[in-house]
Amino acid sequence: MNSKWPNDARCMVNITVDFDGLSNETGKKLLPIGKYSHGRYSAKRGIPRFLEMFKRHEVPATFFVPGYDAECFPDSVLAIADAGHEIGAHGYLHEAFDLGDEEPFYLEKTHMILTDLLGKAPVGWRNPGGGKSDVTIKVLRDLGYIYDSSEKAADWPYYQVVRGERLRDFVNLPDNTSSLDDAPFYRDSMTPPSEVAEQWKAEFDCAYSEGGYYDLIVHPRSGFGSGGPARAKALEDVIVYIKSHPGVLMQRQEETARWCLKNPDDWPERTEPWSAK
Amino acid sequence: MSNKIDQATGGTMCITVNVHGASVELRAVNEERLVGRYAYGNYMPNGVDRLLRLFQTLHIPATFFVPGREAERHPELIREIHAAGHEIAANGYALEDHSTLGDAQPDVLKKAHDVLASCVGEAPVGWRAPDGLMSSDTLSHLSALGYKYDSSFQDDDFPYLLDADGGVGMVELPQNPTLLDQNLFSIKQPDARVHKNWTEEFNGLNSVGAFICMTLHPRQDYGVGRAPRMKHLESFLRETQYSPRPIKFKTCAEVAALAMKAAA
Repeated sequence: MNSKWPNDARCMVNITVDFDGLSNETGKKLLPIGKYSHGRYSAKRGIPRFLEMFKRHEVPATFFVPGYDAECFPDSVLAIADAGHEIGAHGYLHEAFDLGDEEPFYLEKTHMILTDLLGKAPVGWRNPGGGKSDVTIKVLRDLGYIYDSSEKAADWPYYQVVRGERLRDFVNLPDNTSSLDDAPFYRDSMTPPSEVAEQWKAEFDCAYSEGGYYDLIVHPRSGFGSGGPARAKALEDVIVYIKSHPGVLMQRQEETARWCLKNPDDWPERTEPWSAK
Repeated sequence: MSNKIDQATGGTMCITVNVHGASVELRAVNEERLVGRYAYGNYMPNGVDRLLRLFQTLHIPATFFVPGREAERHPELIREIHAAGHEIAANGYALEDHSTLGDAQPDVLKKAHDVLASCVGEAPVGWRAPDGLMSSDTLSHLSALGYKYDSSFQDDDFPYLLDADGGVGMVELPQNPTLLDQNLFSIKQPDARVHKNWTEEFNGLNSVGAFICMTLHPRQDYGVGRAPRMKHLESFLRETQYSPRPIKFKTCAEVAALAMKAAA
């Protein structure tokens, strides 16, 4: 097997966390209280629990943070960055809906909030709840982003072809919100955490045997997230399992994106439906 | 502050029961239509009987959240629960959506409060939002009525003070959404799978010494009312006593008092 990864690694693993505090419910015009209070768990319990566990297992992770959550919980976001993790952008109010003409305004707003808070501009973006349009990537590229972690078209990183030309400054790191995301298991099917861990290990086995790319998505909230102790333990079991395999490289998504940008011909290309923009 | 509350309340477990009988169906239909598909709530007294026997066997003091309308329909049953040493707490009058009551909210809260007080001769000190729905001023209304705690949020592993959220002098006893029977039974999980979810969730919470709040319904559809589910519940509750850190069962009012004392 010819590895495409640094140091001939057999598998690239990105552990990614979508902060999703008060932004989800607030964006849906719901007061984040009572049964809609799950986002309050993120900064209080979920983030500290994840940071402690990532430190113990030496996991460099990427946290995608909605702008509104960075305004509500700046100390929590700074603690993530101080621990050496990457902060990416994730909408302002977790807009899982179409923003229309206002989309560039809100992408830039969150960009400035994160840049001002961290003293460093984010270079990665993940769509909140699938909310994305045909202008998103253009706006993000203008703002200096180098990768998108939202698309479902492939298992591997790939390059977009825009107006017949392959992008050289921007790469897609696909995400799997069907089976490598905690939300569907804990929201839709309420699957016991031990079974979710087995599922994620089986996914890893396949990525590992293919020399592939593995991006796991978790949320620090209660409700559909993994912030609580039982589900954080399931996540920890998966991380321990992954790390027990030789030749696994665990990176922040920014590092993976930069590696792909450095070796552009190693990766496939795709013409997206919106590529005329 | 919160560390003191964590220490004082960690390792305690509240078994809470939402006494939801026909008041659920009465939101949609009239009394004479409580038949057929609208008859699930009529099962409620069977579930309460089973729960009372189970709690007696296991020496568990529980907290029953009772909508005012249920207290009016089943006053003897509610008094029986109270006489068995369990706490009676408030849960709306007719399972209203408190997030949309507007100016009528204080009256609804007062009405539910008074119905329970006259039913059992003691005013409730705890409240839970029906369906978890509340408005930004619900807690301040509750505080004005003398409530000591709310148990409607699902956002922490330990109790916390509600002053910053408008509930001056009140404590939040957060619910756990996995240890809430309705969430699992309403998506038709088989009983054994629900049991497995409870065990894994409990083990996680127990490993960090958390406060644990379980929520049950004495119904047959999305509750634990029927005998096979009651057997799973009994087995689960017994398992908690053989865990690495044995937990203590307390009423919500007792845990709220512990938290308040620790914060003082």
